[in-house]
Amino acid sequence: MANFRRFRPDDLNKLSKCNLDPLTETYELGFYLQYHAKWPSLFQVAEDQNGNIIGYIMGKLESSPEVYKFSEHYLPWHAHITAVTVAPEARRLGIGRLLSEQLEVAADANDAWFVDLFVRSTNHKAITFYKNMGYSIFRVVKDYYGDHSTDPTQSSEDAYDMRKPMKRDVKKEHVRDDGENHAVDPSDVW
Amino acid sequence: MSFNDYGRMPLRSNVDMQLQTAFSDGNWNAVIRLADKRAKSLKDPYYEAIKICAESQLDGAVGKSSVLTAIDELVRKKTVPDIDTLELYEWAAWDFIGGEIEYADTLGPLRVRWAKANPKSPMAIQCLRSCLEYWDLVSAQQISTALDRAYVNSGDRRHMFWSITLTFLLSISPQCSESSRKVYSLLVLKQLERAAEVTENATKVDVNDRGLQTEEEVCLYYRVLLANGSKADFIKRVQCPKLGALALLEKGHKLLFWESLKALETWGEWDLIYDLCRRALRMGVDGVTTPFFVCDWLVWKRFATAASKSATPESALEEVQAILRQYFAMDIKTAAMYKKNLSLALLETTFQLPGRSQALDDGHKGMTPRVIQLGLFLQQYFDKLSAFEDVKAYVADLSFEEAKTLMEEILPKLLDGKSDKPQQFILKSFASKLRYLLTTCPQTLSRHPSVVDGKDQSEPYQCRLCSQLTSFPCRHCLKDIVMEAACTYQQISKDKDLISSIPRLDKDPRLDLAMVIGTSILKLARLRTKDHSLTRPPMRGVDAGLLLQATLILDTQLKETPKDNGLRLLLVQLHLLLGSASIAYQLWIPMDVKRTIQDALSPLFFDRISTLSPGLFHGSRPLMEPLRTHYRNTLRDACPLKIWEAFLSGSYTSILGMNEYDSTLRRSCTMMMSMVEESRATRVFGGKGDGEIADQQLLWKITDDTTLVHQTDYGSFPNLESHHGPPFQDFVRLGPGLSNERSHLSFLAEQFADLLGYKPPKEYKPAKTHEAALRDRTYTLERLSQLANSLTTFLHAPNTPTLLTGPETTYFSVASLLASALVTCLSTSRGDPSPKPLASATQSIRAALAALRSEFTHAVATQASPCLAMADMHTLSYLRDTALAVRHAAAFVLALHDKELARDRSGKSALHRDVVAEMKALEAVAGKAVAEARAHVQRTKETLGEAGWLDRLLELTFAGGGGEDMEKAVLGVVGGDMAEAEDWAGRLLESWREGVKGWVAVKWE
Repeated sequence: MANFRRFRPDDLNKLSKCNLDPLTETYELGFYLQYHAKWPSLFQVAEDQNGNIIGYIMGKLESSPEVYKFSEHYLPWHAHITAVTVAPEARRLGIGRLLSEQLEVAADANDAWFVDLFVRSTNHKAITFYKNMGYSIFRVVKDYYGDHSTDPTQSSEDAYDMRKPMKRDVKKEHVRDDGENHAVDPSDVW
Repeated sequence: MSFNDYGRMPLRSNVDMQLQTAFSDGNWNAVIRLADKRAKSLKDPYYEAIKICAESQLDGAVGKSSVLTAIDELVRKKTVPDIDTLELYEWAAWDFIGGEIEYADTLGPLRVRWAKANPKSPMAIQCLRSCLEYWDLVSAQQISTALDRAYVNSGDRRHMFWSITLTFLLSISPQCSESSRKVYSLLVLKQLERAAEVTENATKVDVNDRGLQTEEEVCLYYRVLLANGSKADFIKRVQCPKLGALALLEKGHKLLFWESLKALETWGEWDLIYDLCRRALRMGVDGVTTPFFVCDWLVWKRFATAASKSATPESALEEVQAILRQYFAMDIKTAAMYKKNLSLALLETTFQLPGRSQALDDGHKGMTPRVIQLGLFLQQYFDKLSAFEDVKAYVADLSFEEAKTLMEEILPKLLDGKSDKPQQFILKSFASKLRYLLTTCPQTLSRHPSVVDGKDQSEPYQCRLCSQLTSFPCRHCLKDIVMEAACTYQQISKDKDLISSIPRLDKDPRLDLAMVIGTSILKLARLRTKDHSLTRPPMRGVDAGLLLQATLILDTQLKETPKDNGLRLLLVQLHLLLGSASIAYQLWIPMDVKRTIQDALSPLFFDRISTLSPGLFHGSRPLMEPLRTHYRNTLRDACPLKIWEAFLSGSYTSILGMNEYDSTLRRSCTMMMSMVEESRATRVFGGKGDGEIADQQLLWKITDDTTLVHQTDYGSFPNLESHHGPPFQDFVRLGPGLSNERSHLSFLAEQFADLLGYKPPKEYKPAKTHEAALRDRTYTLERLSQLANSLTTFLHAPNTPTLLTGPETTYFSVASLLASALVTCLSTSRGDPSPKPLASATQSIRAALAALRSEFTHAVATQASPCLAMADMHTLSYLRDTALAVRHAAAFVLALHDKELARDRSGKSALHRDVVAEMKALEAVAGKAVAEARAHVQRTKETLGEAGWLDRLLELTFAGGGGEDMEKAVLGVVGGDMAEAEDWAGRLLESWREGVKGWVAVKWE
């Protein structure tokens, strides 16, 4: 059983079901609070009947700094999924999808062009999940991650920047079909 | 460089390049010279300020304090200061704020003065930000009010809400004087009510009006209404057409609806909860909101509960079910989560409906609508990981007949219907968990005469499941559960097809079975089953063999399912109990408890760790460093982290939540635990660490009045227990969990130890030794009185006895008695009459120490086996600490006496001879106890070094009271032969040897 609601700071005392899982990163306190401070409606949690957090999504709304306005890598007003996680015991119930959909609703409400996220290029499960939700690869960020999740002999791994157009992007100007062929450097990502 | 932790300080742009460069490079002597020159030639006081700031960066005390003098002068002047000068001074005084000066008394009011004079300047906002950074709410509130007034007609609404938010924060803060609190509370409420009226009465929304427009603004109003308004006003407003909970829900904002339900539940306003839930859920059906927007479990639960409490529960619950049916009938793709919520809601309404525990057929008492509905739910969800948690509370509430029907008819029927082998075994393991759950439910037992023929019966119940006479829980059922689960476990292990199918399942059924077997055996081992009191040593009266068997099974299971953190957490506790702390630590590390989650999770390993295994503090990395870093980083600033971002973003409810979280974190029991454990461990090895515990900056503001808060997260800890008894962590924890009382007592006891161990620095050579000695004595007496009072207050708090282990109670009591005794000793001179209270105090100290010694000796003598020599190091640790506290206290008094004799040959200032005699006697008693404790460690080391240990340990493990059949079953689960058990016993033994090595390194003097 679950409830979906906004994150509250005291949820940080109930994260063990999600964050003891090795696939979930634990951040410094300031990181969580920054999202809660700036985009409270985009930081949503799923809790179980005992108040334990069994899933959460952290998102933000932003555009690239004005100084990059004329760069080809400039990102217009959009929502970004920073982290989404579901506790092992709550998987296969659609919680990840529900949380992502809630963020998309907020993105539309805030007139965002698209929602984007970064995923490791070897995380096929996540890539399929997002593709099923309407996301597509927009570009490949070379050597974005400083380690490799499956091959310890490699010192880096590419990221896929995946996007889903929102209602504002009527003409689908901010997505492309051949995103896998568009590689950029990490320095082009702001 | 012109940097400090507050950042780089830029000078005014019209300052010449030469001075700018010198300042930027941190070339302070050049800055002083140049600034002095410019001040004289330009007659601009700003240069004088630069000079003062540069002086403050030099090492000399006079220069350093010059900035404080300059600030003080500005405060006294009552004129509006120059903002650039103010910025400079604030930067230069950074190190002194919170110490030599208080921001709220100095720079805060100066900022207010400037902002009030220049409210429209962008620097006024900088003034507000500065006050917030130092959490000077009084000044921040005044500035925000000035800003609001200045921008009242500008259309910039954020100043209004900053002012309101800060007024509210101030009204609930200790910074607010009692006389102002009421005024501010009323003021903020009136401001928001006015804003609410503007919105409610407006015909159209004007983005510039001073009403409530965003979700954050509306929710801020309701938070204030809850805190400062009346219940009637809240109830009235929450039903309003524009600002009511449902109005916001319609706009896609759920927060207010959630918070309203919570408030209404607190007040017992069930009719209104019913109405709100009904209307909200209908909105989903009618397409007003997205279909499942409010379909949260808690909404359904409150709806069903409210219906059951209505005047006509039957019809109200019918309505709940009618809406549920509408949701079930909706022809849209629904997430599995919501489907499950709906199914559970149906289950909930069935349990709430009156008469649903009545049998459908008189001849079959157990077949009730509740049981049938449970069966229907399980049919769909038994194979899901969370199935047990979902139904646990419902099963525990069934009558005995219902539970029997569920176990003996419904579940077997479900099993018959499964042709898929993995599913069959999942169901079997699920049934094992339910069966264990029922042993924790009182309805499965009936009272049997507790006294028969004048004799107390050890088995005062008859189990209604197996009909045997038993104590609670039923040992016969537990043993049956173990045997059956072990059999199922072995069936799975032997079936290659089944094993290969496990990765495709939600959960490895062997994990559930191992957990059932492990917990059942722990109960059979009598681990806290007779007496739930956590104050008693957990290992007393425990069947060591069974305890070891349970640990063996669970340890072996972890090899199969290493990612299961619940199992890992349970094993951490078991190894801490067994004294194999190094294994516990190895189990703990892979969970990677770091950064933010440390506050809630660290107590699961670190609490009392210095009393169990001091050797761990001598590892390759400092044990407490990650915790220390976490608190240092997050609590460095006086204000809550990221609070300014929340103000800029207009996230007003976030501000309130962050303030509350910050306040709690600053009073965290875990933070205190980390400091105390480190301080204790340092003392144990005779070190001094980072100085005295009270000097730790994070503890500066902790006073006796501070309520310390514990937030330990047991969410991932396995718990198969019903709500009729304590959760499982209470069975396996070493003692009571963290508490305000224990945290304070530990802190005070460390301060007492610091006071006794204080040695002035070598450079300290006072000119007037007599006066200095008198001052020292006065200070010591004052500190001892404070500590004695504080320790006594916390020791005598009503709940304290239940919050400490026995040895902790003794230690803190002795510390308190010693502090009082020392006050008497130090204030009784040779010429005074004999101090009577001293004799009584020392008698109590001797008695307490003797009791602890005898407890420890008894524990050692009655130990189930010398194999468990490492299992009661907690008592040994406190025996050492108590004895050393006595010894140090006596030595402290005698040293003072000797010093006085040496200083004043007349002997007038020396201590009373009875005092000296009492202290010498105490010292002797304590010395004996220390020697005993030390000898025990040495003996343990020798014993553990003997040959043949592996056999002895295995013999003990398989000589538990469970009988041969159970030993065979256990062995079967761990692979069928002794190889696994031998390997495990070897690791356990190695861990004990490692542990005792740490104890051997402990200082006993």
